[in-house]
Amino acid sequence: MPFKLFDVSKPIPERKEHTYVKKCGDPEECLPKCNIKTIPGSMTERGCAFAGAKGVITGAIKDVAQVVHSPIGCTTYGYGSKRYPTTTKMPDGSTFPVKDFNIKHIVGTDLQESDVVFGGMKKLRQTVRETNKEFPFVNAIYLYATCTTGLIGDDMDAVAKEMEEEIGKPVIAFNAPGFAGPTQSKGHQVGNNTIFDKIVGTTEPPATTPYDINLIGEYNIDGDLWLLQEYFEEIGINILTTFTGDCCHEELGWMHRAKLSVVRCQRSSTYIADLIEQKYGIPYIKTDFFGVKYTSDNLRAVAKFFGLEDKAEELIAKRIAKISPELEFYKKKLTGKKVFLFSGGPKSYHLAVPLHEELGMETTGVSSMFEHEDGFEKMKKRVKEGALIIDDPNTLELEELVEDYDIDLILGGVKEKYLVHKLGVPSVLIHSYENGPYMGFEGFINLARDMYTALYNPVWNMLEFQETEDSDMDEEVE
Amino acid sequence: MGVNVMERERTAVINPLKMCQPIGAMYVVNGINRAIPLVHGSQGCSTFVRYTFSRHFREPSEIAVTSLHEDAAVFGGRRNLVEGIQNAAIRLNPSLIGIVTTCSCEIIGDDVIGFIKTAKEELKKKIGAEKTEKVKIIPISTPSFVETHLKGYDTAVNALVDHIAEPSEPNEKINIIPGMVNPGDVREIKHILRLMDLEGILLTDISDPFDSPLRPSAAEFKPYYPKGGTTVEEIVDSANSLGTISLTKYAGSGALSLKKKYNMPAELGPIPIGVKNTDQFLRNLKKITGQDITDEILDERGLLIDSMADLASRYLFDKTVAIYGDPEITSGLARFVGELGMIPKLVVTGANSQEFVKDMEKVAKETGAEIDTMVNQDLRAMEVYLKDNPVDLMMGSSDARLMAKDYGIPLVRVGLPIYDRVGYHRHPIVGYNGGIHLIDLITNTVLENYFEDKHWKLQQ
Repeated sequence: MPFKLFDVSKPIPERKEHTYVKKCGDPEECLPKCNIKTIPGSMTERGCAFAGAKGVITGAIKDVAQVVHSPIGCTTYGYGSKRYPTTTKMPDGSTFPVKDFNIKHIVGTDLQESDVVFGGMKKLRQTVRETNKEFPFVNAIYLYATCTTGLIGDDMDAVAKEMEEEIGKPVIAFNAPGFAGPTQSKGHQVGNNTIFDKIVGTTEPPATTPYDINLIGEYNIDGDLWLLQEYFEEIGINILTTFTGDCCHEELGWMHRAKLSVVRCQRSSTYIADLIEQKYGIPYIKTDFFGVKYTSDNLRAVAKFFGLEDKAEELIAKRIAKISPELEFYKKKLTGKKVFLFSGGPKSYHLAVPLHEELGMETTGVSSMFEHEDGFEKMKKRVKEGALIIDDPNTLELEELVEDYDIDLILGGVKEKYLVHKLGVPSVLIHSYENGPYMGFEGFINLARDMYTALYNPVWNMLEFQETEDSDMDEEVE
Repeated sequence: MGVNVMERERTAVINPLKMCQPIGAMYVVNGINRAIPLVHGSQGCSTFVRYTFSRHFREPSEIAVTSLHEDAAVFGGRRNLVEGIQNAAIRLNPSLIGIVTTCSCEIIGDDVIGFIKTAKEELKKKIGAEKTEKVKIIPISTPSFVETHLKGYDTAVNALVDHIAEPSEPNEKINIIPGMVNPGDVREIKHILRLMDLEGILLTDISDPFDSPLRPSAAEFKPYYPKGGTTVEEIVDSANSLGTISLTKYAGSGALSLKKKYNMPAELGPIPIGVKNTDQFLRNLKKITGQDITDEILDERGLLIDSMADLASRYLFDKTVAIYGDPEITSGLARFVGELGMIPKLVVTGANSQEFVKDMEKVAKETGAEIDTMVNQDLRAMEVYLKDNPVDLMMGSSDARLMAKDYGIPLVRVGLPIYDRVGYHRHPIVGYNGGIHLIDLITNTVLENYFEDKHWKLQQ
C-alpha cells in the first residue's frame, strides 16, 4: 500500500496510515486514516469543538450576543479572532445598530473554582440577563458549552429554555465542549444540528422570489461572501439566507423557504443542507468557488436550476474578460512552482486543480486537519500521481516535507506561517487569507497575487550573507 | 485627588481584559532553551495559545498537546499524558517538558505527578535511564478557573525553581523574573545588566525565542528550536545567585521560594517603566549585587530626562489618558504618564487586585490626579465609561482598537496582544530606553492627532 511514514514519525508508526501517496489505479477506499484522535504529545494543528462551533459556524452572525460558559480562557480566545466582517444591513431594510458586532463583543461567565464545585448554571442565567440588558438590540443570545461546563454537567438547554421565556427572545445552547470529537469538525456538526433543530422553520421571510437560495457554509472570510453576492445578484438569483456569513438570526429561521441550497463549505455545513432536504424537500448542490473554471461551472449549475443560464454566461464572460490579462501574468510567474496545501480541510480539494491547471503550479501534496473520508476521496481524485495526502500533519512532519520535497510555497495557517519562513520558504495564509477575498474570479486573482508576492519577495534571494559581491549588481550600476 | 475604585458589578465578563493561566505557563516554558510546553488538555488549549503568540510575535510557537477527548473525560487522562510525554521526549528531544494542566484534566482529577513518574519508567525502557534523566519534566498546575494568565506565569516560574534549582557554588549572578513582557523589554533588562557588568539568569528569557533570526543555515530543525532562551543549567544554577528581582509583584512566588530555601534576597516589582520605577530597579540591583550604577546608565537616564524636558510641557501636559491591561504594566504606565505631566484619568485591569488600587493611590498622590480605577473589569466597562468621559489618548493592546476608532481616540499600542500593527514586541517599554521609546510614541501620536491641523505649530 502506498503509505508513507515520515522519518520524524518513526517513533509513532501508526502515523504511517495517515499519509497516503497518490497512486492511480489504487482501489477507491485506499485513503489516509482520518477523523480519529491525534496521537498525544504531538504539535497538532487541530483545534477543539468549541472553536468549531463558535469560531467557525456561529461567530459570523451579525446580530447575536455570544455567551461562552467557561472560565476566562475560552471567552478571551473566542474574542474577535476570526476575519468575519459584518454589515448593519438587515433583511427587512432596517439597520442593526452596531457594525461588526460579532467581532467587537463577546460575553463569558468567567467561571471560578467555586462554580466548578457547585455548578455554574446560576451564573449563566445571570449572565444571560445582563447580556440582554447590555445589548438590548440583539435578536438572540447563543450559549456555548466548554470543557469545564461539559465536565461539571451544567444543563445548558434547561437554562436556555428558562431564559428564553424570561427575556422573550431566542436563547440557544450549543453543546460542543472542547473535548468533544477528534477535531473542531465535531463543533461544526453540533452548530449545524443545533441551528437546524432550534432555528430553521421558526420564522418567515418578508418576501420570497422564485429564485431564492440558501448559500450554506459561506462565512464571509475577508469578504468572500460580498463577491459571491454580486455574482448571484447579477444573474438574478436571490440569496434568501446565508449560513452564516454576515447573516442575522432571523434569516436562519427561514431557510426552509428557499428553492435550492447551495453548499459552499462542504465539510462544515453539508449537514444542515442534508437535514433541510430531508425535512423540507429542498434540494442542495455542493459547489466550488475557487478558481475560474470551478466558479464558472458552479455558477452555471446554480443558474441552470433556475433557468437563468444566459445571465450566467453573460456574467462569466464579462468577469473572465476582466481578469484574463492579470491571470495570464500570474500564470507565467507561477508556472512550475511547487506548492503544498496545508489547509483545514476542503481547500485542499478546492484548490488542487485550479492551482495546477489555471496557474501552472505543481501541487506536491495536500493535507487536512479535520476532513472526513468523503473529503479525502475528493482530494485523491483531484491531485496528481505521487502527490502526498496527509491527515492531521504535525509540525515535525511539516518540517520534513518542506525539506524533502523541495517545496517553493506553503499555503497554511498562522501557526505554520512563521515556522515555514524560518525554513526559508514563503507562505500564504489560506485559512483566513492574506489580502482576500480569494473566492470567485476576482478572488482567485487576489490569491494568485498573494502567491506571486510571497514567491517573488526579494528577501528570499538574500537569506544568507554573501562573502563576494554580486557581479550582476555591478553591471547594473554601471 | 485620590482614586475612585470601580469594581465589576456584573457577573458577566464582556470583552475580557485577561487571559487564562495556561497561556502564562506556556509563555514561561517557551522562554527556556529547547523546552516544550506539553498541554494536558483539549486541543483548543494549545491551538488558541499558539494562535495568540504567533499573531502577536509573528513567530512560530511550538506547543504540544495531549489531545484529551470524551474517553479521557470518563476514564481519566492517564494514557494521554503518559504517552504524550514519551512521544514528546522521543520525537522532540527537548531539554525540558513543562506539563501545563488545564481546566479539563484538573476537573477530571488526573494525578499528574503520578503519571509523570509512570511516563519516566516507560521512557527508561525505551531510551535508557541516562537519556531519560536528561529530560526535565516539570508539572505546572494551571486551571483556567483560578485567577488569570499572571497566576499561570507565576506558578510556572515557581515550579521551575522548585523542581530544578540546586545549590552548589555561589555564581555572583542576579536572577530576574521579567513577567509577561515583550522581547524588547527582556533585551533592555539584559542591556542594563551588561552596563552594570552583571550577569543575569532570566526566569525565563523569551527575547530570542519570540524574536528570532531567519537564518536557515544557522538554525536547528526537526524540530525547530529557536536560538536562545534560558538554559536548564542556568535555572539549576539560579539557587546560587546573589538574589532575585521580579519585575512584577504578580510573579513573586519563585523569588520568595528561592529566598526561603537558599536565603537570598528577593525584590518584587515595580516594573521599571518610567523614571522613578527604573531608578528603583537600579537601586534594587545595586542593593543586591553591590555593583555601582555606571555612568553609561546615567547617561541613558539623561537622554530620557532630556526628552522629557524637551517634549512634556510643550506637547503632553494635562492630556488625559485611559490605560488598560495587566496590572503591573498598567500601573507602571500610569506612573510614567504622570511623570510626563499627563493625567492618568482612567486605569483598567482585568485582574482582581487590591495591590493595583494601592499603586494607583500612590500615583494619585504624586500627580494630584483623580484616577478612576477599574479592577476585575473588562473592555466593555471601559467602553461604557469612555462614552460619557472621553480622554485624549488610550494606551493598551489591540483589543480596544475598534473602540478607539469608533470614539476617535488615538491609541498608543502597548502590551499584549498587538496584532494590527507591527514591531511593538521588538521595542522596550522598560528601562530608560523604554521610556525614550514610549515618550516618542506618545508624543508623535499627540502631534499627529492634536497638532496636525495647525501644521505651522509643527514648523519648529
